[in-house]
Amino acid sequence: MFEQVLGFLQAMADQTGVAHFWWGNVVMIAIGCAMIGLAIVKKYEPLLLVGIGFACVISNVPGSDLILPGGLFNYAYHGIELLIIPPLIFFGVGAMTDFGPMIAHPKLVILGALAHLGIFISLIGAKMLGFSINESGAIGIIGGADGPMAVFVCVKLAPHLLPQVAVAAYSYMALMPLIQPPVIKLLTSREERLIRMKQMRPVSRLEKIAFPIVMGIVVNLFFPPVAPLITMLMLGNLFKECLVTDRLYKTAANDLMNVIIIILTVGIGSTMNAEKFLTFQTIEIIVLGLIAFLGGTASGVLGAKFMNLFLTEKINPCLGSAGIASVPIAARVAHIVAAKEDRENLLIYHAMGPNLAGVFGTAISGGIMLALLGVK
Amino acid sequence: MIVPDSVYGAVLLSIIDFTLSIIMITGIGVVLALFPLLNRLGKLDDEKIRKASH
Repeated sequence: MFEQVLGFLQAMADQTGVAHFWWGNVVMIAIGCAMIGLAIVKKYEPLLLVGIGFACVISNVPGSDLILPGGLFNYAYHGIELLIIPPLIFFGVGAMTDFGPMIAHPKLVILGALAHLGIFISLIGAKMLGFSINESGAIGIIGGADGPMAVFVCVKLAPHLLPQVAVAAYSYMALMPLIQPPVIKLLTSREERLIRMKQMRPVSRLEKIAFPIVMGIVVNLFFPPVAPLITMLMLGNLFKECLVTDRLYKTAANDLMNVIIIILTVGIGSTMNAEKFLTFQTIEIIVLGLIAFLGGTASGVLGAKFMNLFLTEKINPCLGSAGIASVPIAARVAHIVAAKEDRENLLIYHAMGPNLAGVFGTAISGGIMLALLGVK
Repeated sequence: MIVPDSVYGAVLLSIIDFTLSIIMITGIGVVLALFPLLNRLGKLDDEKIRKASH
């Protein structure tokens, strides 16, 4: 009878997750907890890291039904995979964003392209490591620092790499306050960081309403492969700027955006399963993603310094780092680095210009990449 | 013609993509530089638009 009881207990234990627990799960649970810790203690993008970290922890507890087909986290991931969530994120971002700084200072718009050299450094690096050209493109786009765009391009080019690419993109975006400042400081002098920008001209309501309409036409005309994202960004922005759809814009910018962020973060975190994630390929992608971010930041700063060679009115080179798309994290980092030298140097509004241009820069790079690789 | 799946192809793709990105975003910059001309069409009053919608 004792043996029978032991047999029952053994059978029961086999049905729990305990029997399938291995060291990889422990590592990933630790990583998930570290993400939550960074969000709470260091305040690094808590809206992203708490959800990603928690879903990472849960997806590494063997037996969790949430990540299996039919589970809620699994459905959240399908929303990302089917490209439903990325355009909705852009819709919310558009409704939250004032494109005034970009319209007011068109000279800085070029930084949105210059700060994307990192995409191509890691693309070539990935190819040299043996990834296919499509996989290399999907890895390179991490350097655009634009989560929804990275997901969008990755699904089109190499959907099997989506978990690694999405996690690398969102994690590095959240960690930009750690990644960017050393590069900015290394490439700029104190005098350069002290440069104050001239106050921008006011942007009229008519310009703000025309902007999403004009950009919607331009993007759909020239970059149809990535048009869904930018079109939704522009629709959200038009709701905000036309002043007659307050209810819709407030919903897009607040309630809808919050729901989408929850779905996005648990969807991404749930892909961080040890079996899929703890591979050498993941390490390669994570390292290439970091190189892309560092390269993009450096090329943006150097691009701004290059522009200063020709400009009579010098620009603060910290603005170059904001050309990386991640809105508004990169702009905030550029502002903080400059403010450490001069507390009264309010660079944030100026940094939003190249930062927003970076969204278009990543979309353009992604669109051209998809076209050159023959992917629709 | 599709880019070849080789390191040469990756370099080629990068050069074309980066160059075209700069050209396109410069084009967007030029369009934005023309935006102040829109103000010659007239001025929209925020308050009037808001009132008209209620």
